[in-house]
Amino acid sequence: MRLLTHNMLSSNIKGVEKGFPLRIEAEKVVEKPVEMNADFLRKMFEKVEWKAFVEASRSMGYAQLPEEVDSGMLESDEFLSRFHHALLELHLEEGALVCPETGRRFPVNKGIPNMLLHEDEV
Amino acid sequence: MALSATTTIAFKTVNTQICSRNFLPPQRHLPFSSSLSSSSFVRTVSARAMELERKNPPVIDENGVLKKGIAEFYDESSGIWENIWGDHMHHGFYPPDSTVSLSDHRAAQIRMIEQALRFASIPLAEDERKWPKKIVDVGCGIGGSSRYLSQKFGATAVGITLSPVQAQRANALAASQGLANKVSFQVADALDQPFSDGQFDLVWSMESGEHMPDKAKFVSELARVAAPGATIIIVTWCHRDLGPDEESLKPWEEKHLKKICDAFYLPAWCSTADYVKLLESLSLQDIKSEDWSPYVAPFWPAVIRSALSWKGLTSLLRSGLKTIKGALAMPLMIEGFKKDLIKFAIITCRKPE
Repeated sequence: MRLLTHNMLSSNIKGVEKGFPLRIEAEKVVEKPVEMNADFLRKMFEKVEWKAFVEASRSMGYAQLPEEVDSGMLESDEFLSRFHHALLELHLEEGALVCPETGRRFPVNKGIPNMLLHEDEV
Repeated sequence: MALSATTTIAFKTVNTQICSRNFLPPQRHLPFSSSLSSSSFVRTVSARAMELERKNPPVIDENGVLKKGIAEFYDESSGIWENIWGDHMHHGFYPPDSTVSLSDHRAAQIRMIEQALRFASIPLAEDERKWPKKIVDVGCGIGGSSRYLSQKFGATAVGITLSPVQAQRANALAASQGLANKVSFQVADALDQPFSDGQFDLVWSMESGEHMPDKAKFVSELARVAAPGATIIIVTWCHRDLGPDEESLKPWEEKHLKKICDAFYLPAWCSTADYVKLLESLSLQDIKSEDWSPYVAPFWPAVIRSALSWKGLTSLLRSGLKTIKGALAMPLMIEGFKKDLIKFAIITCRKPE
């Protein structure tokens, strides 16, 4: 699971008011290099919830992202390559995504999060 | 909506049969087909549901049994399907009365996607700014639609399925096609999508609606995750619309659908009109629907022929009971279409800005 995906996922357990962002418990993180596409990154920049992204990146072992950003930074190659690395090249292979309110763990196995709710969570 | 309580309480399961039915006489099927206005209807249904719940303690976790059945069915059969038919697990779109060979079917499946986009008036070539940028594929199979749409629009796509085997395969295919940075797949429930509100500008459900035991919840989740101005496209199997004097399908029709439910892990069917009413109740706009049954006629005969080929038969024998049972039910689909009971429907709409 990449951080691009993590940035979209949320806990929808019954009664939870704020299920985003999910905390990451990283057991196995793998780096898989992928070619950078600056246009794609610029488009994604508009959609990414930045604070959650920085925190998630830190949980995955990468702390090189700026805490605050503005679109001017998209001109910087250095920034783009860090953004690219965190967004697309870090993979959570094994671990869990944790609901910020209830602490319920959604397992991640072989890179795939299982977001199925139990009967009493619906 | 109050109706989710209704649909979960009184499903009947007989041994291993998973064909869930509403218990609310006289509305035998999903009750939207009645002529009651939706608010008085909801009050009637809620009162009746509570009365029934007091008299008949609910059978626990019926939906859980169905979901497990669906996941296992697709865990078992997706590989065989892909081996013979490729990565699109949906009907092809054929010009009426055409004769097609197996090699035309992939093109027909792509045509189905393109026709669905056109029906929903998704702006094509000219205005890139209006193209969808974030797509959700609800009931994504092994991700054929997600990958196709992502490539077409340069969009990100995220797919959800109950089947871990499908999610794995979908991700692997995305990786092999160089799309892994744009397309990802998760195990999740379409009735409780793991996304916060309003994230996607195209909400896509290609032949997954028939698996949803609570159509109201299914549709409300599609609407919830749709961004303002987003398009929702549902392509699904329905039964015929009921006539103005009808409260339910005829007994032979119910019986026929029940046999299909059992083999394909489907809950109760509803009609295209039921979907339209649900979308209307959520104040969605530009609601359009059409019966595409004439355009999918060659599909099931072709699937049967492929199953009877050497490759098909040997694959089935190596598969499992669930896949074989599903294969044996295929003639029921053809019969259902021929008798105007089963409809292949498209329903699209837009979330208000």
